[in-house]
Amino acid sequence: MNRKLLGISLLLLVLLVGCSRKELKVPLEDIGMVGIMAFDYIDENQMKLTVAIPQYALEAQQKTQVFSVATDLVSNGIVEMEKLSDKKIVFNQLRVVLVNEDFARKGEVRKVIQHLYRNAEVGNKVLIAVAKDNAEAILKGDYPDKPNINIYINDLLEPSINTAFNPNTNIHDFMYTITNPVTDTIIPYIEKRDDKIEINGVAVFKGNQMHEVIKPEEALIVQALLGRKSLAPLHLDLHEGHGEEKLMIDLIESSIKMQSNKSIKSPKLIINLKIKGTLSEYKGEREYELNTVESISHLEKDINKQLEVDITKFLDKLKNMQVDPSGLSEKFRMYYHGTWTTKQTREVIGKLKTEVHVETSIISTGTLK
Amino acid sequence: MPEQIVAKLKKEINDVDDVKLNMIATEEGDVTLIYFSSLIEKMTLQTMVSIPLTNNIKQIHQMAQYVDPKDVQGVIKRLNTGQTLLFFHETNALLSMDTYSAPTRAITNTETESTVIGPQDAFTESLETNISLVRRRIQSAQLKNENRIVGSEANIKISIMYMDNIVNHKNLDDLRNRIDQVEFPLFTDISVLKQLIEDNPLSPFPQYYMTVRPDSICRYLIDGRIVMFMDNSQLAIVCPTSFFEMFVSIEDYYNRWTTASLLRMLRFFGFFLTIMITPMYISALTFHPEILPYELLLNLQESRSKVPFPPLIEVLFIELIVEVLREAGSRMPAKVGQTIGIVGGIVIGTAAVQAGLLSNILIVLVATSALLSFLPPIFLMSNTSRFVRYIFILSAGLFGLFGQMLAFAWLIHHLLSLKSLGTHYMTPGIPRKPTDLLDNVIRFPINYLTKKSGISRTQEKTTEEK
Amino acid sequence: MGSANLKMLNRYHVIFLAQSIMLGTGILSLPQKLSAMGYTEWFMPILFGIVATLTLWPIVWLCSKYPNEHLFRINEILLGKVLGKVFNSLFVIQFIIFSAGIISNYMHLIQSTALPEQTITLPVLCFLLLLIYIVSGGIKSIARFCMMSFFITIGMFYFTRWAIEKGEVSHLLPLLNFSGKEFFNAFKEGYLSILGYELIVFYFPYIIDQKKAFRHSLIGIWISIFLCFFTTVVSVIYYSEWQLKNVEFSVLNLFKAGEFTFVERIDIIGITLWVFLILSTVTAYVWCAKLGVDSLFKKKNKYELYVIAAIIFLIIRMPFSREFQDKLFTASNYIGYMLIIWPIFLSMIYVVRKKKVQQ
Repeated sequence: MNRKLLGISLLLLVLLVGCSRKELKVPLEDIGMVGIMAFDYIDENQMKLTVAIPQYALEAQQKTQVFSVATDLVSNGIVEMEKLSDKKIVFNQLRVVLVNEDFARKGEVRKVIQHLYRNAEVGNKVLIAVAKDNAEAILKGDYPDKPNINIYINDLLEPSINTAFNPNTNIHDFMYTITNPVTDTIIPYIEKRDDKIEINGVAVFKGNQMHEVIKPEEALIVQALLGRKSLAPLHLDLHEGHGEEKLMIDLIESSIKMQSNKSIKSPKLIINLKIKGTLSEYKGEREYELNTVESISHLEKDINKQLEVDITKFLDKLKNMQVDPSGLSEKFRMYYHGTWTTKQTREVIGKLKTEVHVETSIISTGTLK
Repeated sequence: MPEQIVAKLKKEINDVDDVKLNMIATEEGDVTLIYFSSLIEKMTLQTMVSIPLTNNIKQIHQMAQYVDPKDVQGVIKRLNTGQTLLFFHETNALLSMDTYSAPTRAITNTETESTVIGPQDAFTESLETNISLVRRRIQSAQLKNENRIVGSEANIKISIMYMDNIVNHKNLDDLRNRIDQVEFPLFTDISVLKQLIEDNPLSPFPQYYMTVRPDSICRYLIDGRIVMFMDNSQLAIVCPTSFFEMFVSIEDYYNRWTTASLLRMLRFFGFFLTIMITPMYISALTFHPEILPYELLLNLQESRSKVPFPPLIEVLFIELIVEVLREAGSRMPAKVGQTIGIVGGIVIGTAAVQAGLLSNILIVLVATSALLSFLPPIFLMSNTSRFVRYIFILSAGLFGLFGQMLAFAWLIHHLLSLKSLGTHYMTPGIPRKPTDLLDNVIRFPINYLTKKSGISRTQEKTTEEK
Repeated sequence: MGSANLKMLNRYHVIFLAQSIMLGTGILSLPQKLSAMGYTEWFMPILFGIVATLTLWPIVWLCSKYPNEHLFRINEILLGKVLGKVFNSLFVIQFIIFSAGIISNYMHLIQSTALPEQTITLPVLCFLLLLIYIVSGGIKSIARFCMMSFFITIGMFYFTRWAIEKGEVSHLLPLLNFSGKEFFNAFKEGYLSILGYELIVFYFPYIIDQKKAFRHSLIGIWISIFLCFFTTVVSVIYYSEWQLKNVEFSVLNLFKAGEFTFVERIDIIGITLWVFLILSTVTAYVWCAKLGVDSLFKKKNKYELYVIAAIIFLIIRMPFSREFQDKLFTASNYIGYMLIIWPIFLSMIYVVRKKKVQQ
């Protein structure tokens, strides 16, 4: 029985090879892998779609090919773009998606990202950023000292120690936060200055629309509340009775614990933040006194107070805007029976009273005393 | 009547000029010596037969055997095995003495299965020498060997050896049955016999272990397996055996357990790597470019842009070139082989890349997988891995990674359904005894390896149950 | 039927058979099917496990009364020849359609993610050839294949570690946050994913140690339940409620979160490795269908396996609309429930009959 099976199956396989449609298979060198996509807002029905495709051939003049079309649907735009390009456009290696600020404020981002989320070719690790003014200009700009716009933006937005305020939102995070009634989305906000791109701040969304841009220092607080373990170098201005002091704490390890009082009517949240870091630079009155343990602990106490003030100020700001980028209302949802909606999140944030306790410990002050 | 018998004999061995008939006059009358001169050395004949005949004929009567003169076939068989027939004309008695002394090869180093440490001797083509190499290592009366004759035209001697107190007798009976049912004119090597008594001759995988090293054989004998030798064959086969043992080299037991485990893991995973690497290249480039990281992909695109063939054809092309190199290298006479080896390896490789026929990343991959395919110590297994690799290449070319996994599922199922003398081929993968796992892909220190392996189904259990 | 040398499945075979048949395409979309309950769906697999244990008991009890017969023969004995044959043929048809449903589901998944530009004819054909090869080895070769595939694919669960890192454990609370209607919906949809253990009624005569068969199958069931539980918990941690509802194949998306330095998209490797699990499920169903066909027709037909495979192929590549196929497969899924209730029904008939005989 086995021999007959082998014979029949071999015969069938050989005969059926003719049924396969091989001419649709595009070999590797003829596909153009899109690295960055950018969306700009033209008007209600139209958006401008720009893609950047890296060129591998050494003879090409430009390192990247950039195409731009105006379209209403994303897939339509791709079809239009294939008319311009000699290669087949695929999204297998998509790295970054840029959206225009107008685009974000009008609330169109979710549709576009959802389309990409649905697409099986695109992975979930694609980073998203909001661009000030024109996203197309960023792609088409000239960056003489950078090898490739693809690699430049990708590396810029990837998690790195010094940009810890950057939430590094990827497609999955975006879909997660925008569909979750508990959180509001945050996306890094970039701007083109001459021939460099800079991350200016973080854009906070309210619902589907972009609401406001917050500064990196405040974004750092958001990251700390979200539980991010290593925060960027923290820059503080102290006004605690020793005059104006500026200091930098580096190599931070932070841990956060939040406790809620489980009530929706009058929500109260106790936040305990522990920070461990190295004091890397200090400018101020006590500069020459910081070589004893007591003076360091004094300084720590001052830092605690200042941080508590900063965080409370920021949380009040969030209260007024009624946005919750760090998911504080999750602590209340945990104890609530029934479906949790966005309305309830806004209510909780609007009424939230917080008590912040910060505990800093400075581990060392570098190699000198 | 004696003359009739001799005449009958002469008719049978007519035109066999090797056979010499000498008449010697002794005390008891004329004696005709009949023997094959190609199988007997002159000195042996002198010392054993001629001189005692003339001087001390009683010794001959004590040492020789009586032969029934009516059994012509039996007499001819004795002649063929190198015995000298002595026909006493006076008494019409036919005696025979064993004087076999054909030239044999000396025991040398093994060239195909060498190790760095450990004994270096290997089997030769003479059955007696081989059995002696085993007997001097296992000096026990329980080491039995049974001789049989196989081959309907050639009448070749084989010898089955086993340890009587350890082996499973059902396996023995099974093996004996299979050998008795074989009908084949000539066995030039024991591997021909092996293919006739295997459970699944159609499978690409070898089901019995073959080796030329006496220390391996002795290890398997003590483990309760059955070993077969054949005259004029350097190899010995061991049955039953399992898939994992194809990756075991006897040097693993001479090394310390950490090194041995590392090398075994390397060999074992090398087998799977060698069948997966080049198909991965094909499927990643043709079907799933998103698997590879970005920079590697740019690199690949650049090197592939010069190649006019699709990846499948490219890979088949270079795999076939490597096969041709290897095969030509083993068939070529040694003097010519060296130059062609260099030409093939270096020139073809570099020149092909420069000419734009192949991409250089692919050459690295193919060279690595070719090297990995030589890791299993059994030559037949490395050949099998090359064959299996082609199946994977074709299936990767058809369906990409999905095709590879389908082929992998087929491979797993095929291995699971193979049997070696009745026991499953994948036995240590699905262990019969927990102690099997101690000597598998990872080798535990020797003091843990005291139990026999489950595949031999030894009699140990019955003695312990008592 | 009923000779001693049929008994070839030892306890490991039983454990892994029960385990592998349950995990097929079901586990891939289990979180999505249970999503009617929102975040609290994570303890549903445990509930399913308890229900499965409870329903397994009457099945094994019935089988132990007829230690050498499989369900098709039991049907004939208890219900009479004609009615028994009618139900047997229904079961055979249901198995064929169910297997076709699983294969079609999986092939469409492969086509949408791994092989975007091919029709699925040729892959389906190759899959069916492999299927025929495995089933023709009998239930023992299927059981050994299940064991191997378990060990080969268990490594995939390591790929979920990135999802665990990113997830928020606070999703697991509050407990019991659902309404009765949601619970019923989720139960109805989700239980289909873990069907498969009831096939023991067909391979019971081949088990060596029949007294302990219940215990061994339980071990297999709970291994699968644990894996389902694990993936459900990880999905709940990682996804928002909307994502749970709308993302098909949640488990594969979990893999998308991972990356190594030399391989970017692990979900493709995950999908293609899944073929082992699919094979282990479908081979068992096709073997049962073959057994049914054998017992329906008196003479031994050597080609019934090929006929079954050809029918499955035709069903998948039928020129009917996709909607009709979907309806057909959903219907056969619900009939699968019948197979669990069936032994209870048969046990009652058995008890009634025994009482009649005693009287």
